[in-house]
Amino acid sequence: MLIATAAALFALGLLGVIVRRNVLVMLMCMELMLNGVSLSLVTFAQQTATAAGAVLVFLIFVVATAEIAIAIPIVLLLVRRKGVLDLDAYADLKG
Amino acid sequence: MIETVLLWLFAATALVAAVLMLVLRHPMRVALALTATMLSLAGVYALLGVHVIAVFQVLIYVGAVMVFMVYAIMLLDVRDRSFTRRFSRLLLPGIAAALLFLAILAHGLWRALPEPSGAASGTLFALKRFSTEFLNEYWLHFELVSVLLVAAVVAALAVLEVGRRHRG
Amino acid sequence: MSHPLTAIVLLPLAGFLLNGLAGNRLGTRFVSAIGCGLPILAFLVTVKCFLDLQAAGGAPLIDIAYTWAVVGGSSFEVSFYFDALSAVMVLIVTGVGSLIHLYSIGYMRDDASYARYFSYLNLFLFFMLLLVLGRSLLVLFVGWEGVGLASYLLIGFWFEDPDKARAGKKAFITNRIGDAGFLLGMFLLYQALGTLDMDRINAAFMGSAPPAVSASLVGILLFIGASGKSAQIPLHVWLPDAMAGPTPVSALIHAATMVTAGVYLVARMSGIYLHAPEASAIIAAIGALTAFFAATIAVVQTDIKKVLAYSTISQLGFMFVALGVGAYSVAIFHLYTHAFFKACLFLGAGSVIHALGGEQDIRKMGGLARRIPVTFATFAVATAAIAGIPPLAGFFSKDEILWFAFASSRGGSPLLFAVAATTALLTAFYMFRLLWLTFFGRSRMTAETEHHVHESPASMTGVLIVLAILSAIGGFLALPHFLSSLLPLPEVMPALEHYETPLVVVSIALAFAGLAAAAYLFAGDADRAERLHRRFPTLHRVLSGKYYVDEMYDWLIGRPLYWISDRVFLRLGDQKLFDGSLHGLAALGRRTAGGLSRVQNGNLHLYALLVLLGIIASLAWSWRHG
Repeated sequence: MLIATAAALFALGLLGVIVRRNVLVMLMCMELMLNGVSLSLVTFAQQTATAAGAVLVFLIFVVATAEIAIAIPIVLLLVRRKGVLDLDAYADLKG
Repeated sequence: MIETVLLWLFAATALVAAVLMLVLRHPMRVALALTATMLSLAGVYALLGVHVIAVFQVLIYVGAVMVFMVYAIMLLDVRDRSFTRRFSRLLLPGIAAALLFLAILAHGLWRALPEPSGAASGTLFALKRFSTEFLNEYWLHFELVSVLLVAAVVAALAVLEVGRRHRG
Repeated sequence: MSHPLTAIVLLPLAGFLLNGLAGNRLGTRFVSAIGCGLPILAFLVTVKCFLDLQAAGGAPLIDIAYTWAVVGGSSFEVSFYFDALSAVMVLIVTGVGSLIHLYSIGYMRDDASYARYFSYLNLFLFFMLLLVLGRSLLVLFVGWEGVGLASYLLIGFWFEDPDKARAGKKAFITNRIGDAGFLLGMFLLYQALGTLDMDRINAAFMGSAPPAVSASLVGILLFIGASGKSAQIPLHVWLPDAMAGPTPVSALIHAATMVTAGVYLVARMSGIYLHAPEASAIIAAIGALTAFFAATIAVVQTDIKKVLAYSTISQLGFMFVALGVGAYSVAIFHLYTHAFFKACLFLGAGSVIHALGGEQDIRKMGGLARRIPVTFATFAVATAAIAGIPPLAGFFSKDEILWFAFASSRGGSPLLFAVAATTALLTAFYMFRLLWLTFFGRSRMTAETEHHVHESPASMTGVLIVLAILSAIGGFLALPHFLSSLLPLPEVMPALEHYETPLVVVSIALAFAGLAAAAYLFAGDADRAERLHRRFPTLHRVLSGKYYVDEMYDWLIGRPLYWISDRVFLRLGDQKLFDGSLHGLAALGRRTAGGLSRVQNGNLHLYALLVLLGIIASLAWSWRHG
């Protein structure tokens, strides 16, 4: 059941990346995906009584932090250049 | 018994909040929904007995990541085109694909995995025990992650263009 | 010397290589020395071989030069064979050939491509000698093709003029059509007999157990090849156009040697033809038809070389008549005399053209007898020879042909004789017409040509004199008697034996009748000829148009082929199919790329969706396979 929840959270996160236009919301959906994965890891760690899953989740926290610390400044710079938070304005790498 | 109910409750909350994340218009509300999801997950972790992770979930994820996220939202003017038109052109294909994805995952899960038990599992994940094990067995990962953090700091500095003379 | 025959063949080849590769750098004197010296040397070696042959009592000299290929159980060698027939041919080729080379020194002196000319002439000699000395049909065929090549190169010698180049192509292609028949004949012979050596083939056919192949079929196929090379109907169309080449070339190739290769082939393969009465009848019929047909055209030609070209076709027809009635040695005799007087005539025409600075139209000549006397005298002697006036050479050979056309037991008939006799009359007529119009009467030359008129240099007139003398006395050599052991004369029908002397009288009478008619019509101011012309305009038009054979070929064969090449192969095949498929492939690539590039539109949503689809696909695939 928890695994199902984790799968659902992951799917919802990925859907959010596909569907929402606002860049910040997309970032938050990516965090949601990470959370879904963390839940599944913790569940497995608890079931099999090994520490590996939990350790991995801990590392995920660190990585997520580092990621967000860089991603948000990048978004800020992008917004400064483009003026909007709409992802359709960022289609510069076309073709 | 009560743990099972709480477990289901927290899981449901997490799911509902996640759905809300996708639907709400104002990014600040989306951020709050995400925070709700994360807190519910922390609750789940705690109920599963993995206390150390639950604590760190709240401390790091909610306390650092989401706060930073909220700061960023407050800094920017969010009432623009992406506010009026929330969804991209790929809404329907996206939903279809996501449902397909869920179906396949469900099929796979139903074939392979047994139902988990919701009980706590001893003192494996007590803080002291966990951290000793972490720094004994997984110290290499720890070091590598620290390198990653250094890289992140450097990247942040680069983004801010610290060290460059003011360009008037 | 151990391999004299190989030496004879290789000397002109050496001349070709030397002049071809180094001639331009080494100057005209070197080119003349090599170009004429080597053929003369070949002639001397031939004389020596001839004397050896006589000493050996006629037993053939055989020279195995080189083993070409060993295929399966049979080996193909390049070997040379020298018997009485070969002796005659090789002596003519090297002798008359050398004379013509000497003549060319004077004629081609001012030409820019002097070295190329002599190298091609030597190349021609090399191939012609391969042809007549070869022991096997294969070597003969190499020579056959080679002389076709040399003929093409020499006809189109002044290739900057597209008409001349086209004439060269026409000659080569027409020859090739005949060669198809030749090849088929060779295949049949090889399949039946397992060898292509001509002496062995003859022995097989003459022997007690005739081979299991129809001699007539092989005979006809080989004759198709011969008619291509010797310009018989229907493959005669190339010879008049071949006059585009330099006049010595016309003399050598299209009078004395190459065109006689067909006659040589049939005579050499007499073993087959003696057992092929149907084929022989066809040969005689085509020969007679060609002779008559060409003679009628020659009567109205106005270019001096064209008259001689049609005359050559006609005389070759005579030779084939002789071959068709089994008188092989008589045909060779006529070939021999024809080489002398026709070469003399062509070279004389060349001298006239040279004297007049390039004029070839006989309507614009006249009154030259006093002004270029040596040329005139030699031309007159040769004309009398071809007309059959005794005791010149042509009389003897032509008289023999007429006799056997009438009386041979192998196909002689009064009809054949009548056609041949009429042709003889026409021959005398048009040749004397040519003589009169060119040399007699009032001068019809343009003023600048008149100024130019001068006798040719000694290198040219000397050769003319030699050839004229040979035309005069050559007939006394009694060649048929010399060749009789190899090529016996056919039997004469007993009932007709007593006609022999009357027929001689008749042929003399014909010659003088032609002379008289020509004198009547063309002496003076050719008024009477004009009136005759006006009374038969249609006939004149048909004859002038050469019976429109070329036009018919173009309409029947040329244009449909051109249409097929253009419509079917070019437009449909090449442009639509090949180019179209290539362009189609390229367009396909372009359109696919265009379509695929729309995936990269810069939109992150799409990329994320594609990632999701990829995850789904890989999950589905991995879970499907366990």
